[in-house]
Amino acid sequence: MNVSASTSRVADAKHTESTAQGVDAVPRRRLTIAKAISEALTQEMDRDPRVLVMGEDIGRLGGVFGTTQGLLARFGPERVRDTPISETAFIGAAVGLAAAGMRPVVELMFVDFFGVCMDAIYNLAAKQSYFSGGRVACPMVLMTSVGGGYGDAGQHSQCLYASFAHLPGLKVVIPSNSHDAKGLMIAAIRDPNPVVFMYHKALQGMGWLGTVQRSIVPVSDSDYVVPIGKATTVREGRDVTVVSWGLGVHQAVECADILMKEGIDVEVLDLRTLAPLDRDAILQSVQKTGRIVVVDDDYRSCGLAAEIIASVCESGRVALRAPPCRVTFPDIPVPFAPQMERPLLPSAVKLAEAVRAQFVSQP
Amino acid sequence: MTDVRIPAEIIDEGEGVISVWLFRDGETVAAGDVLAEVMNEKAVAELVAPASGQLTILVSAEVPVKKDQLVARIT
Repeated sequence: MNVSASTSRVADAKHTESTAQGVDAVPRRRLTIAKAISEALTQEMDRDPRVLVMGEDIGRLGGVFGTTQGLLARFGPERVRDTPISETAFIGAAVGLAAAGMRPVVELMFVDFFGVCMDAIYNLAAKQSYFSGGRVACPMVLMTSVGGGYGDAGQHSQCLYASFAHLPGLKVVIPSNSHDAKGLMIAAIRDPNPVVFMYHKALQGMGWLGTVQRSIVPVSDSDYVVPIGKATTVREGRDVTVVSWGLGVHQAVECADILMKEGIDVEVLDLRTLAPLDRDAILQSVQKTGRIVVVDDDYRSCGLAAEIIASVCESGRVALRAPPCRVTFPDIPVPFAPQMERPLLPSAVKLAEAVRAQFVSQP
Repeated sequence: MTDVRIPAEIIDEGEGVISVWLFRDGETVAAGDVLAEVMNEKAVAELVAPASGQLTILVSAEVPVKKDQLVARIT
């Protein structure tokens, strides 16, 4: 195997505008993902009077996961609407508002709650443009929290990436750091079609959920866009590709740090967008490394990890040097007890074990 | 050496918590950087660096803090 320590970079180096070492004369502003989302919403609402926000506890509280901080005070209750606990009503209303020319952003507090409002999402929003021959757009954003790891049990801990990425007409994005969170949210609001904006609770910066420190990076106060549909290489490596998104990116970087000491040079991809999938970026990386491991904290069967691996295998462009591998949550509901939940979730250590197995010679 | 304390404007009475440190222990910070977010009664406030230098974190996130409490040093 190739051994190279020189190509390693930290996860956030790619996105830092001012990572100069030593004391900077100018303060460097770092934001949590929660603050970055709030800032994206604030700037887009300033720029475009058609943008409005609706959801449960998004007004006075500023969002259970901090996504709408300061919006009510700045824009008032007409554009920042606390709704009753009826996703069916306010997400359905958002589809209508979007058809009528508004740009609604609605928060589904936990992705686990999609059941009661899914008809509005996949039968109405996702198909609006298609059914109308492109004459009626649906520029709405559905933002929603995903992920477990903090003992909130089977109805508040799911990811369900594949459930949404499976459906034509929906774009699905998920940031791994605050820079991408802001740029992806601005891109989502400006997109003429429905975008599902997922954010992982473990990266949100809300304290009570724990926060991966690497997700907090410098964020520009300009209104930049991170393009939907483009993956990024957060760490270059020669021996094996780890495909990841959201929390998994940080586990992949930690795994790469562990394995660098063992002489395995890991390349880490951050998909950033789950639909449409950046298959070119995945193929390009795997063509170089010849090995692929995917980390996916969603259920195992029929998941995004399977789709990614199938895309590589059926391309005919890669001769894999080891069987492709996925590290996922098993096909069971998420347990409540932390001592049961924790061992089932993907981790950097589990990922490192899976990557090591790529280098055991096949019989 | 400069002490970083919880200002009364952030927590006047009772307890709050540092919900997240935006810089890591040992990192170099500049005066004016927002070092941490502090949560008190569901409101979030920013703890700003009073000086430039190397940050030593004395109170980690999610530990209760009070007014005037020493939470970090900058050297």
